[in-house]
Amino acid sequence: MIARLGSAMIDYAKAARDLWLVYVSTIAGIVRARRSRSPRGEVARQMFSIGNRSLVFIIVTLGFIGMVMTYEACLQLSHVTGDFSQLGMQFIRLIVSDFGPTLCAMMLATRVGAGIAAEIGSMKVTEQVDALRMSGVLPIDYLIVPRFIASLVMTLALSVVGATVMYLAGGLTAKFSFGVNPNLFFDLELLRLRHVGMFVVKALAYGATIPVVAGFCGLRARGSSEGVGWATTAAVIGSSFAVIVLDFVISAAALFIFGGDL
Amino acid sequence: MTAYVEWKSVYKAFGDNPVLRGMDLAVTKGEVLYIIGTSGVGKSVAIKLLLGLLRADAGEIWFDGARVDQLPERELAKLRRRVGMVFQSSTLFDSMTLAENVALLLRKHHALSQAKAITEARTRLEQVYMADYADRYPAELSDGMRKRAAIARTLALGPDVVLFDEPTTGLDPVSARRIDQLVRELAKTGITAIVVSHDPPSIFGVADRIALLYQGVVRALATPAELEASTDPVVQQFIRGRSAGPMETPGF
Amino acid sequence: MIRFVGAATTRVAQEIGGILVMTWQVLRALFPPKIDGRELWKNLYKMGNRSVPIVVLTAFFAGGLMTLQTGPFVKRLGATSIAGWGAGYAVLREIGPILIALMFSGRVGANNTAELATMTVTEQLDGLRALAIDPVQFLVVPRVLAMIAMLVALTVIGDLVALTGASVVGHSMLEIDWATMYHSFADNLRPHDFLHGVYKAFWFGGAIAVASCYFGVTVKGGAVGVGRAVNAAVVASAVSIMLLDFFITYLST
Repeated sequence: MIARLGSAMIDYAKAARDLWLVYVSTIAGIVRARRSRSPRGEVARQMFSIGNRSLVFIIVTLGFIGMVMTYEACLQLSHVTGDFSQLGMQFIRLIVSDFGPTLCAMMLATRVGAGIAAEIGSMKVTEQVDALRMSGVLPIDYLIVPRFIASLVMTLALSVVGATVMYLAGGLTAKFSFGVNPNLFFDLELLRLRHVGMFVVKALAYGATIPVVAGFCGLRARGSSEGVGWATTAAVIGSSFAVIVLDFVISAAALFIFGGDL
Repeated sequence: MTAYVEWKSVYKAFGDNPVLRGMDLAVTKGEVLYIIGTSGVGKSVAIKLLLGLLRADAGEIWFDGARVDQLPERELAKLRRRVGMVFQSSTLFDSMTLAENVALLLRKHHALSQAKAITEARTRLEQVYMADYADRYPAELSDGMRKRAAIARTLALGPDVVLFDEPTTGLDPVSARRIDQLVRELAKTGITAIVVSHDPPSIFGVADRIALLYQGVVRALATPAELEASTDPVVQQFIRGRSAGPMETPGF
Repeated sequence: MIRFVGAATTRVAQEIGGILVMTWQVLRALFPPKIDGRELWKNLYKMGNRSVPIVVLTAFFAGGLMTLQTGPFVKRLGATSIAGWGAGYAVLREIGPILIALMFSGRVGANNTAELATMTVTEQLDGLRALAIDPVQFLVVPRVLAMIAMLVALTVIGDLVALTGASVVGHSMLEIDWATMYHSFADNLRPHDFLHGVYKAFWFGGAIAVASCYFGVTVKGGAVGVGRAVNAAVVASAVSIMLLDFFITYLST
């Protein structure tokens, strides 16, 4: 039992070290790419692929969750106080400082993370990654760096879209289900610069983590179809969990930095 | 002699690519019939049509006096208990040991309890000389061993007809001959065997009759001796394995 | 452009149709119930084993986050007695079931798709059919039942862990003491809120299960296909979770 636990711990430690190495190599790859002016086309292609694959998905999922959240909040408020004046202000504060980027990233982890792992994993098991290595190209430079840059930009952009959709969907729900005046709902009074700061920091942190975790899982794929399936699964769960942990860490850090006033 | 299994002018195309173009073939009860032909000629398609794993575009397929090519999925279950198939890739379930693989069938179709089914499965595996490996998982074994276990699993159905899809392809010569021997032993127990193959030693050592499938139809149907004496240049080219000749092979 | 949208719409409609057909097959296989007990237990065990740790961790963080987000606001109002209200209400009714379902879909759903997809591309499904065993009845039905049962159980466990997480964070970062937190849960949360979340988990579990099985058994094209199937399954699960969440919330009030 202890031996099994021990070996499991060692496996995790090894995986963590490998993950860290992929991360460092990615950063190094970006620096190299800047110096050698590698083709921009690949980054643009990845951006298009991420954005194109996820836009409708993000709009649908975040739209619905915005509706549900407002609906639940209104329901609860109408039981207790019946005062909807704070609703919209608090809602946009929560969206900007947390729900917008986090839920968006959770969705991207399933869409983009799984996609990256499936793609790279398939290349790995069909020995295309080895072929890259043989032709003198570092797989990380070629496969992960463009996706990393693209994901950084697109996660931020899609978070803005997702947050906006959530906010609008919430406002409409409040108006049509509970008759809350849109002027009262769409009030940005409580929104501070620090909330926007958290939005950007979180979106960038998630955007940087998803492709690295997913690419790492893809590169670890072994065997054939089974290996690819395993890699894709690991990428989804790994990047989703990373998003939640990062969210917690960043929120807690912000709490201390801003002195208990989020 | 009446036919036990019969294909009557069967057509099957995949997209724009016609595979079977009016195949006629009658198999008598208890014989070992080999269907031979080049890769992609539709041999495996023909036997999958019989089981309803694929559907024919036109034509009829008969088994034991009943038409089977239009049966709905539920009725097919009855047919598939009488007609077993051993796939080229063995298709053992890789989450189960060999014994569990065989026991699954016994449990499902003969209503045995798990414990009894496992015991029975071991004796079944013994018949194919795999008793020592009953508790291993398929991934740990060689192709030939997997194939033998797959045969044991199919036999657990208690079938009247067994279809073999390239049973010796990809095996080393020794394992291949062991499979041939198993096929021959089956025939002695009264089971009809239809074997898809292009492995000459098996064909001439085991077959009662041979059907050569060429361009979507049965070009020749004969005993091994007759086939060898055939004057048809296509037949001669195939059984001698010559690259030059009248035969048209797709892609060349 | 229009052709592109048209093609995408057709594809989505096709997938939805396929998922509905599979749902119908599963329901038909349940009447009369012919469930393979061994497969059911095997799946329950495997799924539970795989998903409990990740779900517990997720729930803990989620609960903590809710306190982090609502806590400062309540503290500023000086109303710590309702600190558990916002966090608890959000966790039990929405955040808990949704996050747990998403993690479950990533862990168990994706794994299930990968497993079935591998079986499909290696012809093991055709093998089952050739052996006169109905793959829907033998493989899909036990998995669907196991996933529904497992997600409901996980949501119950996860809710408790999330409330614990909320209290721990409230205690350590916002200096709200345990008793206050406990009473604010006990006074403000009704069993109804808890059951509402569990009820959602039932439907989420069914949706994840059917979607993951559907994409597993309809996979085409080797290793590349398996990766794509897993991707499609988790995306379909996420969309179904969000849609179901909306309709259940809307209809049940």
